Amino acid sequence: MALAEPLVYAARAATLGGKDLAFLVSQLAGKYQVFGPTRKDGEIALGPVQSLEDLELDYVTTLLPPKKYFYAPFDTIFSFHREGGVIHEENLEERRVLFGLHPCDVNALLLLDRVFTGQYEDDRYKRKRENTLIVGLNCNKPGENCFCSSFGTGPDLRRGYDLLLTNLGDRYLLEAGSGAGEELLHELRLKKAEPQAFLAKENVTRLAKGAIKKKINTDNLPKILNQNFGHGKWAELKEECLACGACTIVCPTCYCFNVFDKLDLTLKHGERQIVWDSCVLLEFGEVAMGGNFRRTRAARIKQRIYHKLSYFETQYGALGCVGCGRCVTACIKKIDPTAIVNAIRGE
Amino acid sequence: MRSLFKPETAVIKGIKAQTPDTATYTLAFADAKKQSDYSFRPGQFNMLTILGIGEAPISISSPVDERLTFDHTIRRVGNLTKAMSSLQEGDTVGIRGPYGNGWPVEEMRGKNILLIAGGIGLAPLRPVIQQVARHRRDFGSLEILYGARTPADGMFSDEYAGWRGVSDTKLWLTVDQVPDGNRWDHDVGLVTDLVEDRMESKPQNTVVVMCGPEIMMKFVVKALLARGFKPGQIYVSLERRMECGVAKCGHCQMGPIYVCKDGPVFNYAEIKDLPEEVL
Repeated sequence: MALAEPLVYAARAATLGGKDLAFLVSQLAGKYQVFGPTRKDGEIALGPVQSLEDLELDYVTTLLPPKKYFYAPFDTIFSFHREGGVIHEENLEERRVLFGLHPCDVNALLLLDRVFTGQYEDDRYKRKRENTLIVGLNCNKPGENCFCSSFGTGPDLRRGYDLLLTNLGDRYLLEAGSGAGEELLHELRLKKAEPQAFLAKENVTRLAKGAIKKKINTDNLPKILNQNFGHGKWAELKEECLACGACTIVCPTCYCFNVFDKLDLTLKHGERQIVWDSCVLLEFGEVAMGGNFRRTRAARIKQRIYHKLSYFETQYGALGCVGCGRCVTACIKKIDPTAIVNAIRGE
Repeated sequence: MRSLFKPETAVIKGIKAQTPDTATYTLAFADAKKQSDYSFRPGQFNMLTILGIGEAPISISSPVDERLTFDHTIRRVGNLTKAMSSLQEGDTVGIRGPYGNGWPVEEMRGKNILLIAGGIGLAPLRPVIQQVARHRRDFGSLEILYGARTPADGMFSDEYAGWRGVSDTKLWLTVDQVPDGNRWDHDVGLVTDLVEDRMESKPQNTVVVMCGPEIMMKFVVKALLARGFKPGQIYVSLERRMECGVAKCGHCQMGPIYVCKDGPVFNYAEIKDLPEEVL
């Protein structure tokens, strides 16, 4: 397929008109399994994409974050025969593209990378990450619950992408962020971006930043939280929180899981599965003989907030929240980390 | 490709009943090379699998220099441990491990050892006792305080005479209660009572290693601190829910600590000031 012949092919950045974007998506869909934001029952969800028409790029957040592509809500680690042992491991070689991810979600994947690699590297997670290209989409329409700018995780993306789109209104800026991204730009023979496109991008970013209303003051936050473990706000929250776990399911950095063996009807074959779990559920800290290390709801709410905003930094060197706002949106009681932190900081 | 979560097949070589609800399983990997490559430190644990039932963390209860097999002493309390009790010699289970840090054996060299256990908590400490017995001159005195619910619930009871026979070693036993008709020549009461009434160990040049129910450890730590022991010389092995053993599933977190990876053995000084109260 030949586009209007540009004078110079793009190495690092290109500009795309509407047709070029459709071309990009169809080219990617020809080579990879592509997933991106799609409309589903009136909501936006990450799903399979064949062409630009399948995509809904004008969105705030998807229902579930992209973590589901690296370990699914019910993810089979291996299948087994009870007598014959482990018989099958999943094919992890599928080459995929996650298209149109917002900066918060890409930054969340970078945080999950720290969890799943390190001393005990999860080879399944790593292989899936290596086989997945990330096409980011800078955010120009932050939602009412967004607070990414507090963590430097949005509204513009600065790392973690192979390709990055910015909607400039009349056209898109497409930038490469990796060798794989540069190769794609080169193969697609797209028109090199003109300097004005970068100025337009700065403008879009500035406007988006200005549209973010919620903030968390992260200065010294882990220390301040650790000093306020007995703060009255927690007693108040334990009456508010229904301990339903919705916040952790939709969270792009929550990774806790249970491991279950699921048998088929013969009771001879089965699968060992990872199943998403939630620290706000009563069963999370349960051990044999009725023991439970986090029996009170206050202890469980605190675990969620402290893990994100204090412990994660000790464990992995960064705060564990990217400010996507999904937990607020999903919460029936609209429990909001920005309000919790503001109350504790007295701000 | 090796999966982090994929167990290796191990064969049950022997089963020995310890108490009415506890047995020691002697295991060896089906793959001889895997067995000969396998080594662990006292106080480490394995994730033990029965396919179709699930997986659970179980500490290793055999001496580290026994290389042909390894032991797990298991009490029937949950799905997996109950299913375990229906297995026989020659049956197979899955094993991943060893995981965790283990007891500070290097630090214990040349020091007196005060070993305090309650119930099944003696299992991860048995390798320490065996190491002291086999390398007696590497360590100072050994004093063991052990409590169980009833006389019939004492673990490794056929080994007590042997432990007492190790030079410069003392063993104090207590039970919560003695049912009618049971014979019991030792103390009745809590492990804390042994600390108060029997213990001869002094804080100087002593390392305390302890495993048991958290409520027991909480009061024993208090009693030790009251006798001049410092938090930094007390090591405890903690229990938490674990689904993975490799710092991924999130369940065993205690503040910023993963009990599976950073523990299960902790210096009391490291954990006493965590925001979330531990002991």
